[in-house]
Amino acid sequence: MKRSVLSRAAETIILLVVCFVALFPIVWMFLTAFKNPRDAYDISLNFQPTLQNFVTIFSNPWNLGHALLNSTIVAGATVLLSIPAAALAAYSFSRFRMKARKSLFFAVISTQFVPAVVIVLPFFLMFRSLGLLDTRIALVVVNVAIVTPFVIWMIKGFIDAIPLDSEEAAMMDGASRLRVIRDIVLPMAAPGIITSAIFSFILTWNEFLFALILTRRHATTLPVALTNFRTERGDLWELMSAAGVLITVPIFLLALVIQKHFTRGMTAGAVK
Amino acid sequence: MADIRLVDIVKKYGDFLAVPRQNLTIEDGEFLVLLGPSGCGKTTTMRMIAGLEDITEGQIFVGDTCVNDLPPKDRDIAMVFQNYGLYPHMTVGDNIAYPLKLRGMSRAERREQARITAEKVELGPYLNRRPAELSGGQRQRVALARAIIRRPKLFLMDEPLSNLDAKLRVTMRAELKHLHHELGITTVYVTHDQTEAMTLASRIAILNHGRIVQLDTPERIYSEPADIFVAGFIGNPAMNLIAGEIRGGVFEAPAVRIPGLDAGPSGPVVLGVRPEHLRIAETGPIAGPIFANELLGDSTLVTLRQRGTHICARGPADFRRELDQPVSFAPTPDARLHLFDAENGNRIATQSF
Repeated sequence: MKRSVLSRAAETIILLVVCFVALFPIVWMFLTAFKNPRDAYDISLNFQPTLQNFVTIFSNPWNLGHALLNSTIVAGATVLLSIPAAALAAYSFSRFRMKARKSLFFAVISTQFVPAVVIVLPFFLMFRSLGLLDTRIALVVVNVAIVTPFVIWMIKGFIDAIPLDSEEAAMMDGASRLRVIRDIVLPMAAPGIITSAIFSFILTWNEFLFALILTRRHATTLPVALTNFRTERGDLWELMSAAGVLITVPIFLLALVIQKHFTRGMTAGAVK
Repeated sequence: MADIRLVDIVKKYGDFLAVPRQNLTIEDGEFLVLLGPSGCGKTTTMRMIAGLEDITEGQIFVGDTCVNDLPPKDRDIAMVFQNYGLYPHMTVGDNIAYPLKLRGMSRAERREQARITAEKVELGPYLNRRPAELSGGQRQRVALARAIIRRPKLFLMDEPLSNLDAKLRVTMRAELKHLHHELGITTVYVTHDQTEAMTLASRIAILNHGRIVQLDTPERIYSEPADIFVAGFIGNPAMNLIAGEIRGGVFEAPAVRIPGLDAGPSGPVVLGVRPEHLRIAETGPIAGPIFANELLGDSTLVTLRQRGTHICARGPADFRRELDQPVSFAPTPDARLHLFDAENGNRIATQSF
């Protein structure tokens, strides 16, 4: 069907506007990260780029290296703990006929319905009585709790798409259930599991609210550390942008890797 | 090597009775075909033997061992699935050798065995490919090779040829038969294709609604069907089943009057006669206008229709006559006529004419 020039022009304009709205803050951040403080409020593209901001954020008093380490450890540990557990849970939900499977699955998913703000206070009280405030352990525990249900749901979709025949064939060939999972299911679900792992890494890496409430100095993560650039001397935009770039770039690279798998993952179940 | 015994096997899914109380002994070394329309419980029966499906009641013995509570991996049974059930992330060689890997065989030995087995099913050049790069027939061979690489006590095949095209199916059928002859391993084969059943089986079990209606050699199932269901199911073209009445040795139905039958039974019956047991005659006990002529190459199928009853005969290949012209059929000298009880469908008598 041929569409009129008008409707195509309208479509292009709308797309451009959406792109602009979405991309402008990011472009602005990338530019500002390389600007001198005095150029920060200047929208002009004509400036002397500098790496000084990146040096500054890693030195006293900002010491962003510590927050970077915290973020990496918390996100990494969250992935390492949640993915294996979620993969096994997803397999069970996908394959085993058990009583109340649907309600159980719904119960797991329903934890995602609760707004984080509602449960952050109970978490705070809980960790305070456990003496775990301002520790990475607390952040890992919280993030695993947040991420796992979501990842179970995601991986289950991938496992559902694996034909049962291959599994049964492996059992007939002499494999136990665990062996089947190891040799057949996990390799076949690998794209989905990798996607889910990266996804949960991103979620944890960007998580702000819990990190803000549950940490003070030792366990602060990058998103929380960003707030330090709002000082009594005003907002240090060039430093905040440099830190923003630091947070964004790893995620950006991961997204590039994930993209291929992600589209494949979404269409995997479509054709049986 | 062992015989398989199913004793009073029952399978229920909730309230649905899939397999009602079944008894079946599969002799050592035989090729038993479970044949029936879809939903007749044949696959369920096979999956219970495999251990992929729980048994609601009854016992299954492999040799003298009751395998009810053994998981599939401990039953020493190999199975070929309808959709092959290959491992897409492994090469053909690794697919075939996977059962040996599970038994802890060394890598070198596994490779050698896989190579030998692959040769047997003509997959030699494809060992390093992935299943996705193979054709349907080749995938089927991978599944087969994976089953025969270890010598299991029993082979189970669940409609293994149904995903292949017609020509390949015929070739693979012959190969399966040859393979069974060569290996001599007891085989249970599920199909709804009566040609596969007739050609492969040493015995056929015909199932309907979960029950074994007849268990016998292909010859006897063909020549002495136990009831109307078997009679109509086996044979291509299908047996003519003519509802009518018998009295004093004379069978009468619209367009049909066959005298000289056994004088014993009387009342409403169904007469069964195969098209190849009817010939085209100048005058005969069956007469009516021609409904259809179908040239098969070596013969022509001629169908007449009289008051809603279709009757089919195998005529010579050069038979030509316009539709709606009258035609008569007479039994051939070696014809076998079957009488079935009109109510319960059981065979009352078979007689040569």
